Amino acid sequence: MNGFKVLQVQQSVFADNDRRAEQLRQELKTQGVFLLNLMSSPGAGKTTLLSRTIESLNGKLKIGIMEADIDSDVDARTIEGFGAKVIQLHTGGMCHLDAEMTRQGLEALGTNDVELAILENVGNLVCPAEFDTGAVKKAMILSVPEGDDKPLKYPLIFSVCDVVLINKIDVLPYFDFDMERCAANIRTRNPAAKIIPVCARTGEGIDAWTDWLCNEVTAWQKP
Amino acid sequence: MHELGILSSLVHTIEKIVTEEGLTEVEKIVIEVGELSGIVPRYIEQCYPAAVYKTFMEKTALELVTVPGIVKCRDCGLVFNAAANDLRCPDCSGQNLEILEGNDMIVKELVCR
Ligand SMILES: Nc1nc2c(ncn2[C@@H]2O[C@H](COP(=O)(O)OP(=O)(O)OP(=O)(O)O)[C@@H](O)[C@H]2O)c(=O)[nH]1
Ligand SMILES: [Mg+2]
Ligand SMILES: [Zn+2]
Repeated sequence: MNGFKVLQVQQSVFADNDRRAEQLRQELKTQGVFLLNLMSSPGAGKTTLLSRTIESLNGKLKIGIMEADIDSDVDARTIEGFGAKVIQLHTGGMCHLDAEMTRQGLEALGTNDVELAILENVGNLVCPAEFDTGAVKKAMILSVPEGDDKPLKYPLIFSVCDVVLINKIDVLPYFDFDMERCAANIRTRNPAAKIIPVCARTGEGIDAWTDWLCNEVTAWQKP
Repeated sequence: MHELGILSSLVHTIEKIVTEEGLTEVEKIVIEVGELSGIVPRYIEQCYPAAVYKTFMEKTALELVTVPGIVKCRDCGLVFNAAANDLRCPDCSGQNLEILEGNDMIVKELVCR
């Protein structure tokens, strides 16, 4: 047969990433580093929320931030202005980060002096949800102007997140966004999700968010 | 783009297999793409040349097989083709569906020397 060989492989592409992610998570556990994957659509307020989070934690946790963007370093410079350790990851046109890219990002950031590492994922409600980055927990932001029907339209991301932050509550009077309806829509996809309404601009509701973060980091660092 | 990243990680996966099996050249790969995987077969085809460019798979042919998305209605138990029914149960209109098949992307076969 001309030296040909047909190899039956049956290897899942997603399973490969999942394995790398699990390995990364175990290493982070050993190092006592809590990694959070923060997702949202473009402009929902990830960078603003992170700035407010750094401010509000006020040195209580050693934070390192990875800003993933297709291009540019605008967000990294913003975060740097708030005094946190930060690096910019360029995804080279890619719409999401996988476990391998996240590992490289963490290596570039350096985690020796970091307890809480946060990955600001690429602004997108579809692709980032499909890839386990190795993060310990996942959070997403839904901002009021996007509408309360988003959990119905993008079910996957809502079903994989541990926390859903509803941001820009300061503009609630100008939109037909119904908080109760939104919460119900999220619960049909993910009954366990913690829902935290916030205003990243003014800091309203941020304490509930930072309390959650502190508790999760402490729990993760327990042997 | 989504598909390009997936393909790059796929090249890694195959490289590992090839090394483990002590193979030299991969003539063709056969990949199954589920209709509910969120991956668009047409994009996979378009991105493929870029993903294998300057890798050991540069000359490897790609064969794509689409796997239908089969779901089960959690309300009435009916099993049906998701895409053909617009992700809605044709019996009870339920949308609470459990995916049985077609949400993965699998490297099925390597044709090697
Ligand atoms: N009114 C109001 N505006 C906000 C709030 N939070 C963020 N914004 C504004 O929303 C815009 C986008 O915020 P960013 O923090 O850059 O959003 P992002 O999610 O990081 O955006 P990308 O990184 O581009 O995806 C900015 O003009 C912010 O000032 C809020 O709570 N209320
Ligand atoms: Mg940003
Ligand atoms: Zn049904």
